[in-house]
Amino acid sequence: MLAVASSSFPAPALADVLARGDIWRGDALASLPETSIPSGYPELDAELPGGGWPRGNLTELLVDRSGIGEISLLLPALASLSAAGGWLALVAPPYLPHAPAWAAAGIAPERLLIVRSGQQTAWCLEQLLKSGGLAGVLAWPDAGIDARALRRLQVAAEGQPVFAALWRSTAAAAMPSPAPLRVQLEKGEAGKEESLRVRILKRRGRPASQALALTIARPGRNKRVVAGPAFSVIDAGSPAAAAVA
Amino acid sequence: MTLEALPLRQSPEGSSACAVAARGRILLADPAASSAGILPGQKLSTALGLLPGLRIFEREPARETRALADLACWAGRFTPTLSLAPPAGLLLEIGGCRRLFGGVAAIVESVLDGCRAQGWSADWAVAPTPLGARWLAQAAAACTLESIAALAPALAALPCTVPGWPTDTVARLESFGLRRLGDLAAQPAAGLHRRIGNGPLDDLLRARGEIPDPQRAFIFPEHFAAGLELPSRVEFAEGLAFAAQRLFAALAGWLQVRQGLLRACTLHLTHDDGSLSALPLRFGEACADESRFLRLLREHLSRLQLAAPVEALHLTADEVIARPGASAGLFEQAPNGEGAAACIERLRARLGDDAVQSLVLYADHRPECATQPRDPASILTAKTTSTRESAGVSTALGSAVVSMVATCAAPRPLWLLPAPQPLAERPDGPHWHGPLQLLTRGERLESGWWDSGEPGGIGDIRRDYFVVRNGQGQWAWVFRDAQGWYLQGVFA
Repeated sequence: MLAVASSSFPAPALADVLARGDIWRGDALASLPETSIPSGYPELDAELPGGGWPRGNLTELLVDRSGIGEISLLLPALASLSAAGGWLALVAPPYLPHAPAWAAAGIAPERLLIVRSGQQTAWCLEQLLKSGGLAGVLAWPDAGIDARALRRLQVAAEGQPVFAALWRSTAAAAMPSPAPLRVQLEKGEAGKEESLRVRILKRRGRPASQALALTIARPGRNKRVVAGPAFSVIDAGSPAAAAVA
Repeated sequence: MTLEALPLRQSPEGSSACAVAARGRILLADPAASSAGILPGQKLSTALGLLPGLRIFEREPARETRALADLACWAGRFTPTLSLAPPAGLLLEIGGCRRLFGGVAAIVESVLDGCRAQGWSADWAVAPTPLGARWLAQAAAACTLESIAALAPALAALPCTVPGWPTDTVARLESFGLRRLGDLAAQPAAGLHRRIGNGPLDDLLRARGEIPDPQRAFIFPEHFAAGLELPSRVEFAEGLAFAAQRLFAALAGWLQVRQGLLRACTLHLTHDDGSLSALPLRFGEACADESRFLRLLREHLSRLQLAAPVEALHLTADEVIARPGASAGLFEQAPNGEGAAACIERLRARLGDDAVQSLVLYADHRPECATQPRDPASILTAKTTSTRESAGVSTALGSAVVSMVATCAAPRPLWLLPAPQPLAERPDGPHWHGPLQLLTRGERLESGWWDSGEPGGIGDIRRDYFVVRNGQGQWAWVFRDAQGWYLQGVFA
């Protein structure tokens, strides 16, 4: 015998029910967070303690000029974090992120947080690191950040499964820092412009002897130099002309 | 498993004696009245004769029912399974939550503390059957009996007046010489059935757990609204905090059972001249914490000027959201920290909503338009589903755009400048920190006639884009249009 009961309430969709906090799914077996994230470059992994970018520790990346491929170096690691469902945060980025490029690199734009922290970068960073809910945090702190603030950040990150990268200028290389890993990035040598020189200034274990020249992904398939269009005289009164003058 | 509350608390903070009356007889008298010789059960005329200045309050059953329902909402913090036992009882099923609170004694203590804090006095008992617990509480037994074997002697010692059977039945039993429930149980059942009917004997069996006694569960209301009449007029805003505490305690219990978080609520004040005013409370991040409600309330009350004395409060929950709890993995140690959602809420509370955004792709060829900000809260609600599913959702949402990105192999930079920056042009080409070397063929983007002239629109563009590199090793994205060379992006 079949009994049919009609309910006066519309049944909630299955997805809504599963989204509730008090529902636990039996098939959701999370894996233990690894202590490091493979960087995607075997020669770099061999040099990094733990075989990759560390979690739960500050990583300082010292670079003077943006555009030499500094974020492309991190993209394989960030893409693996994003593919695993993690949230990434960019704190006080120097430019506007261009979503199609991040998406093409394998990073889900909807899980990429942009934090315009203004004067409170250190506070924001501490909150983000301490929360334990983010997989990766890239931050561009102002040049004045001092060792005490860095130590607070290192303490906040400890024990959390977060990859925390701070971008600083190479002038900071001479100053002491509590970050266990400090890496300086430079443009490739003459004749190897496609590559990126990576010098590990500080790491746990013996000091690294020489810089690595990594071949990273570069824009444009066509590697040879092509001729541009014939340059014309700039229209007088245009913004470009004004800038030149 | 019961808690008996006596919601007969009407006496204002006055110096004069007062009493509560129902149907022309005194029901309760306060200490001042009792010392004047006024006893429960007296006629009103007798009482007024003894003490002409006595203030009489009529019993209000409707208010008692409301107060009991509010108390049930509050008790939702202890157990979701509870039932009302009118007129003045509340049954909490605590068998399932003993371990959570650390034992029966701890639960009883926190329940009684909570009752006291809200101004109720309660008699209580813990027993394996609902009716047994209720009777013991009515007899003010204040004992914890965890097994049926311990319950039977405790029940046997209760007088026959406790269960509230009809008066003639009790009188009948009295005439038989049966004064205690134990005496009743010792008699042959068939004879008793004939003399006093089935009701009392069935009650006895239910209390002893020999026949089942299902309880009607209290249903927590879909929308929270609770009211409170103040015992005396309150003229200072700070004075309202204590009274409102009871309403917020009920709200916190209700949120716990409904697995909700409160974003906004309104406290409605009824003044003694009949006018109404509202005090809206908004929380920076949704929460269910009673102490936090009260802190915010006190802050608001300290700034509030009352137009007239207040005689009643009414609290409504205006915005309630589902609690975004994340379920922990079975074999994973719980991550410490509060998680992304709470952190984003906190950052937004301090920096403003616009300062914390995530991104969404927008199908537009113009680089300025291809990135749009998105409220991360909308994704966080979907985030609690498995990551696999949410990834599926996101690809479904942006499938057109993603496929556009995938098929369009043209390089796109990670960074865009807020506005294209005009570049100096020398005879050897454009310069940006030195001469730029063009590395790709020009990519023509010509689009956007539809929003030219509109406010905020980029307008029609006609640009040839190139990937360039300068002598410092910086890779950039520049374009040339009718006006000249511009730097628009950086390949970081």
